[in-house]
Amino acid sequence: MCLRNLLRRRLRTSLCILGITLAVMFIVTIGATTSRYTSIIREMNIFFSGNIVVVAQGSIVVQAFPISGGNLPEDTVDEVKRIEGVRTAVPMLVFFGYELEDAIQLVPTNISIGIPSEKWGILVGSTPLKPDGRWPSANSSAKEVIVGPSLVDQYNLALGSTIRIKNYNLTIVGILDTPSTTLARVIIMPLRLAQCVYFPTNSSWINMMVVEPEEGSVGKEVVENIEANITGVKALTADERNEIIAPLLSDIETWNLGMRGMLFFLSMILVTTVAIMNVSERRRDFATLGALGASRKSIFRMVITETTLIGLFGGLLGILAGTVATLFLASIYTRIPLTLFFQGLFGVVSPIFMVEILASTLIISCVAGIIPAISAMSANISEVLRSEY
Amino acid sequence: MIVRTLELTRIYRLGSSRITAVNKVNLEVDKANLVAINGPSGSGKTTLLNLIGLNDHPTFGKVFINKEDTSLLAEKERRKTRLQNIGFIFQTFNLLPTLTALENVELPMALANISQETQRRRAVQLLETVGLANRLQHRPKELSTGEMQRVAIARALANSPSLILADEPTGELDSETGCEIIKLLSDMSRKQKTAVIVATHDEKMVEFADVTYRIHDGSIMQE
Repeated sequence: MCLRNLLRRRLRTSLCILGITLAVMFIVTIGATTSRYTSIIREMNIFFSGNIVVVAQGSIVVQAFPISGGNLPEDTVDEVKRIEGVRTAVPMLVFFGYELEDAIQLVPTNISIGIPSEKWGILVGSTPLKPDGRWPSANSSAKEVIVGPSLVDQYNLALGSTIRIKNYNLTIVGILDTPSTTLARVIIMPLRLAQCVYFPTNSSWINMMVVEPEEGSVGKEVVENIEANITGVKALTADERNEIIAPLLSDIETWNLGMRGMLFFLSMILVTTVAIMNVSERRRDFATLGALGASRKSIFRMVITETTLIGLFGGLLGILAGTVATLFLASIYTRIPLTLFFQGLFGVVSPIFMVEILASTLIISCVAGIIPAISAMSANISEVLRSEY
Repeated sequence: MIVRTLELTRIYRLGSSRITAVNKVNLEVDKANLVAINGPSGSGKTTLLNLIGLNDHPTFGKVFINKEDTSLLAEKERRKTRLQNIGFIFQTFNLLPTLTALENVELPMALANISQETQRRRAVQLLETVGLANRLQHRPKELSTGEMQRVAIARALANSPSLILADEPTGELDSETGCEIIKLLSDMSRKQKTAVIVATHDEKMVEFADVTYRIHDGSIMQE
């Protein structure tokens, strides 16, 4: 009956559902897109947690990796190792690739990492390789790399395939088997090979090092010692790296919640307005129901059910449209084909997020129906019926 | 005795003036009686029906339905009394436009929590009785005015009430259809042993009534 009441005013109901759909679509798109990138940023700090990251002074560090800034001579590693409280220091060369098919992308398309062969573990932990793969040879002349699974899927790569970076043809000898969004897009190679590829004229540069403090030493003190004894470097503990990015993540979160709140509020006003119009046009129906003996509760429930149905349809359509829009946006930003995102749909828009948004939409539409429902159930039967004649 | 009113009075306040729509009405209606309340527009017929039907509260006086003093009932109990004991027939039919004829008749039974099977069986039976066996699945807009009023009669009888209140039931109908509706109401009243109070200014209706009251300026007198 409630559904039929809504269908009786098809255009109005459709426009209201469209309004909710658009609002929910924006909420899903903005929410899923921002939460995807913030979760990637947060995930990056899982790397080297407990260790200190040392970069050139002036470098911009996003969690564990420098995204821009200067380079350091490789012998800085030996200087760092001599600092009190330092157990070991691992040199690395990290480059974020923003270019693809001669076009600059908004977000990195890949991350090339050069790391000494014997130190793979500090980067990938216990991440295994897919069957038949192996770790690259330490010999840089072998020009061997391992890559993340997302790159493999996107470019139809396989073990033995060759990828071209700068002027080098590099052979894939291993594919990481990992759900990590960061590792899915990496190209890992021995440090010496990375130095040849990225610094062909001066292959002794690095742009970051991971410092493992000695047991019992305080990270903050080790950082101070490094910065005091070596000029031109910046050292950051995991906490400090978090602190750098925390305000940005917090701003994104606040902005996201603000947008969500505003859109939900507007949706609520839309549903309330439409429900008030519906109720005022059906005063005679409600009065008739009252005259027949319908309880005030059942009339209240009828109006609430109608607004909740609007919320349900708008919410479901909005989530569907928002999910598709999010996948399109992710595909446009990363140049990863849409089909690959569809395969990992729930990784881009999590089911929990979908349920959360649908539940919020239902609650909002339910609340939006309260005022019209009170108006419907409070109709003075005799007055309404009299005014109809 | 199905209905008894005692000094029933309804006064409306319009700004500083007071309008007595129903003035000290004493009325008694027996089982299976068809009572006509005849009077011109604005004489208080609808107000009186609303008071008897518990849709409105009297300023003074009392309404007894099945010997129960309704002035002592809470709103929830008044609704329950309406649902179980009173059927309404309106001048403009007041069928719910989104429901079929069958569903409109089932509605009072659904509100009374009668099982769906019983609802369906009884609604079909009632619509057959009022001659609408072939219009079960039609919506009100697909029915003629006479058919709509027949559906309204079937709906009024759905919960087997002891009292039916009909407010100008022939007001929207042509004279021929009006006659049919009057006969139908009269027949149903006798067959179902239901008391019927009809507010009307249709003289034909008066011919079928067991008792007729004239109402003028809120006061009634038996003819």
